[in-house]
Amino acid sequence: MDPNRQGARASYVALLIFVALWILVPSAVRRFNREAFVEFQAPALHLLGKSRELATFWEKKSRSVEEMAAAGRDLARINAALEIQIHKFEDIRRENVRLREITRYNVPAEYMSVVARVATRDSSSWWQRIVIRKGRNDGIRPGAPVVFGNTVVGRVTAVHLTTSEVDLVTSPGFRCTAYLEGDDQNHIVLVNGVASNSLGTAKARVSVIPRDYFMPAGQPARVFTTGMGGVFPSRLMLGYLDGGTYATQVGNFKESLLMPSRDLYNLQEVSVLVPLHQNPGEALMQGDQFQ
Amino acid sequence: MKESSDMHVLPSTPVDRLRLYGVFFFFLAGFLYVIGGLVYRQLIQSNELKDQSDTQSRRVVLRPPARGRIYDRNGFPLVDNRARWSVKADLASLQKEFRAEYLRMLAAEKAREAVSIDREKLLEDARVRVLQGWLNKVWFVIDETNRNTKGRKPLTKLTPVTAPAERQINITELRKHLRERRALPFTLVNDLAFPGTGQALTADDGTKSVARFIEQFPVEGPIRLEQDIVRTYPYGAMAAHVLGYVKDTDALPDNVDDISEVRVESMQKLRYTGKTGAAGVELSYNNVLSGRSGWELWSKTSSGYNQTRLKYSEPEQGGNVMLSLDYRIQQATESGLAKLKDPQGNLLPAAAVMIDVHTGEILALASQPSFDPNQLADRVSSKYYDQIEESGGWLNRTTQGLYPPGSTFKVITATAGMRKKVVDWDDVLDCGAFFRVGNRDYPEHEPVGYGEVNLDKMLAVSCNVWNYQIGIRTGIEALAAEARRFGLDTPLLQTVSDFETGGQPMTELPYAASRGLVVPDREYKLRVGAGAWTDGDTANLSIGQGYLLTTPLHMACVAASIARGETRTAPSIIHSLERTGRHPGALPIGLNAEQLASLRGGMVRCVEEGTARVARIPGLPYAGKTGTSEYFKKGEKAHLAWMIGYAPADYPVVAFAVLVEGQSDTNTWGGKTAGPVAKEMLEAWWPIAVKANLDDKPKAPR
Repeated sequence: MDPNRQGARASYVALLIFVALWILVPSAVRRFNREAFVEFQAPALHLLGKSRELATFWEKKSRSVEEMAAAGRDLARINAALEIQIHKFEDIRRENVRLREITRYNVPAEYMSVVARVATRDSSSWWQRIVIRKGRNDGIRPGAPVVFGNTVVGRVTAVHLTTSEVDLVTSPGFRCTAYLEGDDQNHIVLVNGVASNSLGTAKARVSVIPRDYFMPAGQPARVFTTGMGGVFPSRLMLGYLDGGTYATQVGNFKESLLMPSRDLYNLQEVSVLVPLHQNPGEALMQGDQFQ
Repeated sequence: MKESSDMHVLPSTPVDRLRLYGVFFFFLAGFLYVIGGLVYRQLIQSNELKDQSDTQSRRVVLRPPARGRIYDRNGFPLVDNRARWSVKADLASLQKEFRAEYLRMLAAEKAREAVSIDREKLLEDARVRVLQGWLNKVWFVIDETNRNTKGRKPLTKLTPVTAPAERQINITELRKHLRERRALPFTLVNDLAFPGTGQALTADDGTKSVARFIEQFPVEGPIRLEQDIVRTYPYGAMAAHVLGYVKDTDALPDNVDDISEVRVESMQKLRYTGKTGAAGVELSYNNVLSGRSGWELWSKTSSGYNQTRLKYSEPEQGGNVMLSLDYRIQQATESGLAKLKDPQGNLLPAAAVMIDVHTGEILALASQPSFDPNQLADRVSSKYYDQIEESGGWLNRTTQGLYPPGSTFKVITATAGMRKKVVDWDDVLDCGAFFRVGNRDYPEHEPVGYGEVNLDKMLAVSCNVWNYQIGIRTGIEALAAEARRFGLDTPLLQTVSDFETGGQPMTELPYAASRGLVVPDREYKLRVGAGAWTDGDTANLSIGQGYLLTTPLHMACVAASIARGETRTAPSIIHSLERTGRHPGALPIGLNAEQLASLRGGMVRCVEEGTARVARIPGLPYAGKTGTSEYFKKGEKAHLAWMIGYAPADYPVVAFAVLVEGQSDTNTWGGKTAGPVAKEMLEAWWPIAVKANLDDKPKAPR
């Protein structure tokens, strides 16, 4: 027999044996393997993120002096505006502290904030999942909300040693309750991601909107977290209602699409709000038994 | 060479050829048979086979639509729908878990060396254990008391044996579900907002439990969050007898015939439980409120579970109904009734109604005791059902309660007397302490009598002796005819067509009194076997006693008719801007101007200084007539307190009737007991009328 064909046959046999062995090995071994692969891949992800930053750095460094001067002027202007805002916020903070002292209102901090750089986006679902360069070693736990400024980015779904996976607001696995701007009665609505095709813009669906709700005139209504579900702090922004609400035939409710904040498409850095106390949902995500 | 060898294999003898043709035709026949069968199946039998295949492999699931809303005349929702979030387990997705648990339990049984193993029971136990595990997880998430978690390890909440029923899988329900609706998801928590026997877990409206589940429970997996609609009555028991309530039904509006894919008659149709009207407007306008069912076409697995949803259509909400009620007047009316209590503090049975004099639209209609339709909208506890039954709360006393109208009937006696010209508006009669008819004295309610009494005074003080005299002079024929002219024997409320009810035609408020209405006469007394009619019977009838039976709504219509100077008023519970104010069968009252003015003036005097003076409202002159009649309750004599009237006195806009069933040991009198309720109704209505007049001058008051 042709030695080439013989070699090919041997490789097929080897592949079959490998597949059979893979099927037969205990699930713990397979899980370990998968986990080990993620950890093996992690340095590459770190390197990828850092090299992208380095590229950005050199790209910026190569700009002309005139460009840099113009950018410097713009920054100075922004800095000045921010300085004023900082003073304003400082005044508000002091007033807040004063009022808390008067009313003896003392709410303990519920979350610990961990800042993390975005390593990569999951290529299988471009808008739906990102990988960040912080993991179990940094105290991140599954289920923790992920924010950028006061905007919700998503939620941690899987945590590895040095990286974590975050389902974005537009991911079908994301679900939370929200309030709508302009709804005086604060009805809760449901926000969940919608699976979109590869070329479509990722969006989330806002459902169970009361029939008598109307968007404020002249601006898209903002959508905020309720803080009632025990996962997300209250009044964080989820995005805007896109293109108005439309009635479903089901009856008393309307639906709409959520246009996530613009920042979601260009994330470089996020904050993970790790709850100080574990909530039941987190226990479920870790697979605890409740028999 | 090659050619010759090929030639060599061909059969050379005739026998061989025959064999070859034989084989050839055998195969040809077989081939034609197969082709023919294929053509037959594909072209001739295709429709039939497709139907069979659809029947076996597909099913239609019908989803109930949301019912329409019911509004009051100003557009306030009296009946609405709220979102109900329920947690359901997809049994098809749990098959592997059931199997694994079953095998584990089977192994345990075998290890125990059990003598006999009931595999069916074991499989059921496995299902229950798996579902219980998921239910525990749901409760672990929604119950905020689980906050007691320290460090990284949660303190899982153990389920004790004495756990509340709602935290346990109901085996009977699971069995029933597997038997009848295996393809549909099994309900773990029926209402997330109120998971514990209708109570919220936290001191809010239950939203927190819903939010906790939404945000903390994994999105993927066999446990689904479903959202549907449940009927809600925002004002609780208010106007319960008008609005009615809904009950479960499996007979959903069946519009699947519209769908070409599912016209196969034998195709299995599964229905979610929907709601249908059980009483009140919910029942009489059931078809309007019902809407159209949604449907889903599913392919199913060999074990009967749903596999893939092939097509679907959302349910379509039912139409809305706008009632003529004004919720502000309704609230005031019920608040007035709620103050009527016996010495033990129990609510007295009572009824009150207010109608628009011109259109006949009912502005308030209350019956006491009542019920809270919210408690009947979902799962009715037998305890609550029995409680309503015992208190007599099902009866709508305003339209179904039959009572002798007592002295409120005197307006009809007076009208009959004047129309028969046996008395005129300014005639004065001598009215002593009693009036002798035959050999029996018929008493006056004032021990010394009223002396000289004219029509005006009779109505003010409600003189009985004046009515005995006029009643006997008028005669039973004319008296009964007058009562009939005012429609006391005619069923009220329009009939709603069977198209709107979705069943039998019925009155706007179902089962309004019809056959029980009695305007007695000679023939009636003979028919019921009570003997010949006597003058004593006429005397009794003249003061609204005896065999006469009517409803509070009829008496409100009498008041409205007098206010307009007509004989009939057609009341309606539905608000319509196109209502003309013409009342079928209505005739002019048949009195001259002085007579009518005197009749109305006597009613005004009744409120100003007569038996209804306790209900006088400074700044709002109105006409009224009280009545106190006797009836037997549980074998003991008791009083019925009545008051009818219209307001304002000079330009009538509304008419009303109030009835209170006194207990045998209560001091119940028309003006004293029913008067304050009428006062409260009018005090609620008057500012609304004044405001309407300010907002839109030409409209009201008329």
